[in-house]
Amino acid sequence: MSYETYFPEQRHILALAAIRRERFLPERAIGEVEARGGEKVDLRDVVARGAIPARYLMIDAAGFFGLKDTDDLKPMMKVWEGARVEARQVLAGKPNGRGKKLLSPVAGVVAHVGDGRIILEETPEIIEVEAGLTGQVVDIEEGRGVVIETSGAVLQGVWGNNRLQIGTLRAEPSDGLESVGDEMNMQFRGTVVLSRRPLRAAGLRVAQAQSLSGVIAPSMDVSLIDRARELRSAVLLTEGFGAIRMSSFVFGFLEGLIGKQTTVDALDADRIGARRPEIIVNLPVRSGQRPPEPDLNLTLKPGINVRITRGDHAGMVGAVAHLPKTPYLLENGLRVPCAQVQLSAGESAFVPLANLEVFG
Amino acid sequence: MSEERSGSILSVDFGNVHTRAVLIDLVEGVYRLVAIGESRTTTGFPWGDVRLGLSRALEQISQITGRRLTQKNGRILQPEQADRSGVDMFLATASLGRPLRTVLMGLVPEVSVASGLHAVAGTYVQIVETVSLGDARSEEEQLNAVVLSRPDLIFITGGTEDGARASVLGLARVAALAVALRKAQPPAVLYAGNSALVPDIHALFDDKTTLLVAPNVRPSLEAEDVEAAQLKLAMAFNALSAQLGTGFESIGNMSHLGILPTAQSYDLMVDYLARALDGNVLAVDIGSAVSTLAVSVDKRVSTIIRTDLGIGHGARDLLDAAGLEAVQAWLPFNASYDDLLTYALNKTLHPGGVPETLHELYFEYALLRAAVGSLVRGARPAWHSVVADDPDATMPPLKRIIAAGAALTRTGRPGLTAMLLLDAIEPTGVTTLYSDPVGVIPALGALAHLNPAAVVQVLDGNSLERLGVLFSVTGRPRIGRAALHVKITPLKGGTTMTQEVEGGHLWIYPLSADSQVQVEIRAVGRGLSIDGKSSVRLDVTGGTAGLIFDARGRPLPLALKAGERAAQMPLWLSEATGDAIRPVDELWLETLARDAEPPAPKGKRAKPEKAPKPKKQRGGNRKKGTSAEPDNQGEGDEMDELRNLFS
Repeated sequence: MSYETYFPEQRHILALAAIRRERFLPERAIGEVEARGGEKVDLRDVVARGAIPARYLMIDAAGFFGLKDTDDLKPMMKVWEGARVEARQVLAGKPNGRGKKLLSPVAGVVAHVGDGRIILEETPEIIEVEAGLTGQVVDIEEGRGVVIETSGAVLQGVWGNNRLQIGTLRAEPSDGLESVGDEMNMQFRGTVVLSRRPLRAAGLRVAQAQSLSGVIAPSMDVSLIDRARELRSAVLLTEGFGAIRMSSFVFGFLEGLIGKQTTVDALDADRIGARRPEIIVNLPVRSGQRPPEPDLNLTLKPGINVRITRGDHAGMVGAVAHLPKTPYLLENGLRVPCAQVQLSAGESAFVPLANLEVFG
Repeated sequence: MSEERSGSILSVDFGNVHTRAVLIDLVEGVYRLVAIGESRTTTGFPWGDVRLGLSRALEQISQITGRRLTQKNGRILQPEQADRSGVDMFLATASLGRPLRTVLMGLVPEVSVASGLHAVAGTYVQIVETVSLGDARSEEEQLNAVVLSRPDLIFITGGTEDGARASVLGLARVAALAVALRKAQPPAVLYAGNSALVPDIHALFDDKTTLLVAPNVRPSLEAEDVEAAQLKLAMAFNALSAQLGTGFESIGNMSHLGILPTAQSYDLMVDYLARALDGNVLAVDIGSAVSTLAVSVDKRVSTIIRTDLGIGHGARDLLDAAGLEAVQAWLPFNASYDDLLTYALNKTLHPGGVPETLHELYFEYALLRAAVGSLVRGARPAWHSVVADDPDATMPPLKRIIAAGAALTRTGRPGLTAMLLLDAIEPTGVTTLYSDPVGVIPALGALAHLNPAAVVQVLDGNSLERLGVLFSVTGRPRIGRAALHVKITPLKGGTTMTQEVEGGHLWIYPLSADSQVQVEIRAVGRGLSIDGKSSVRLDVTGGTAGLIFDARGRPLPLALKAGERAAQMPLWLSEATGDAIRPVDELWLETLARDAEPPAPKGKRAKPEKAPKPKKQRGGNRKKGTSAEPDNQGEGDEMDELRNLFS
């Protein structure tokens, strides 16, 4: 393998780029797209609406009426497949309206009629997918959602609590997010707070009490995962789990966006998906201009900026100084292809190529 | 295996982290591995298209060989051209993506359901629900269980030939109802039960969903026939891969056999090698999201696939599936569940990363050893003919072990890779160890369907990395006392040397893969043996690690206390690599003292795992030329139907 053909992990940290993002219903939902191709959409516009399938109820209608031939149910039916029914609504009865009537035990949808049985689907949970971006619908996938194109700044993180929220980006107080307290005025309400410190339980409490739209932090203890998932606020980690501090590079980038309307898509990415949790800030471009798309073919070469993802230098940013031709013996005894990285602090380290990320 | 003549062969394996391409060609009339290429798999962020990783891997091969392999539109150039560009045959295997969500239906858990489970081995199937006659749930509850589990496939088994009909039809009707309720995205149905019901099955499912029919997996109580059903399952996996929308459809269209599950290759190759070597063979592939163990014991092949035992994307699931205690047992320091969870979760965020510190190294390989151990324990019940159903019984003698997966094979230290295999598998007797860092086995397994002669020739051509030969002492050697007397005599002249290996130690004699020696070993000490004998003499060839003498004993005397392992494990690591001992940091030992009291419960605790049932066991009657040969008749139609279904 040569370095010209080695493509390291890549993470988007871009000040201005053309951004295309999918806005799809959850995999288990069944629904429809609400937006049209080419339509301009705003942050809060609903682009797809659907339902999560609910439980099914099997009703023995033929048995209820004492029918010997299940085909005899057909002329007795008052509702058909696809019909919405309310609880206690008549499902079937004699055509003349007299005699026993079969009532729906629940509100729901008639899912299937056959073999003398009626199957009802209880009222499903309705899901709405918001655009989350100000942009234009450039592609539609029927039944699933849309692709929206916009321009702006983007920073990708590593973990999210599966919430998408929008708010103005603000820096945490100098004493940290926890210093905001639960009872103070709601000065941070609806905002997205940027914290340079690892997120703690107190920070999550503040996010809830202050109704923050989101929190962006470098890391978090694993014991807080469940609590973070219960929050309505979006929680996005930029580095990982544990007590990793935010790198100056990432913090500096986000600090430059303070005061701007920010979309925090704190996606809890599945293990095979092509999406990551991210922060997007819509930025205007001159009419007729289109910012560049991210370069997806970045290779390692001397001078390129990299971020270290593992080991004692995890989260640090530096520049590749040298790319040895042979594998390097690490202190732990492994011998793997490495790059020599000049860290921002002045230190130099040999880092496995597999533990380097490039920005772009 | 049917023979199809071919010249150059390009085979690509798509893993969750790596895409590996292998070019095989005729060199002086014999098939040889000519070049390899590897790239990061590009189904995930930011590319979302597997073809980019493929083109990058092929670009590496082109750089090495000077041969152009693709057309301008990115498609593989087939057949090979006069200027040697292109290839005659393109094959693809894959272990990436999500497994095929499958509902398994059968009559009796120990009979048809068990055979159904055996059939799903070799394909990346996740059984999301099982429905059988013994199921106490009402029909409504069964229906909800099936529908709400969102299966890609419903696999119906049941009824021996001339056996039960009504009860199988009852199950099929539940499946039909589930298909009707999911008419927007109906699951495919595979029927492999009593063949007398095939017309009824067609009546239930034709025009409603894609129906695949295979011969009965359990034609009688005594017989099992899973191979045809396996092929249909592979086709369904292939169709699912294509619908991922990440370029797989075009890969499948270019490949001679579509996209085959990588695990099938391990299954086939282990079977082949066990016959060729006339001995037991084991192959283990620890992947990022999926791990596979294929074993042939006494010519009976069993393959187990675990989608919850990956060391990268699946590290978090691995911790829970293998069990906290199983992972902690391989750490030379105390670590809480949260410590391990933090490591595992960070690994899932950067699945291709490698451990950089000693602390990380121990975490990584504790997870890896636990994963391999879990696979072995899960597979053991399938070896009933030779192994008592006792999880602590020693392993049967294995002639060959093959390691695959970057975490095992990319350590850069052959001795370390070898030691990880010894630790986790605990082989007995004399075993030759191989590593497959470049993905040769997946390529050969795919090729075996079309050109078995090429497979034999490529294997003969040293396409795998030979780590060396392992001599393992069975019994409990006494620490500090001689356990092995070793005498090594070079076959082409040189000085004979002798060595005494003490109990509790590993000793490695460096010997390259092109050197041969005669080894005479005598086990000394009460109850000690090598392959059931007190002494062994044989001529052996070396490897990248050399000759490995494991006098630690079987079962492996891994200390129960972390403090004792802090002395034991760095010593073994040093003996395996030849490096100086890297002691465990004193601070970790201080932590050890502080943590002597059990920590208060915090977070989710892993339960000890239940050994999963063996997924597959086959008799030794696989016929060459027929076992894995695709049934081309109607296959195209079914594939098209499946693609439509999943698209």
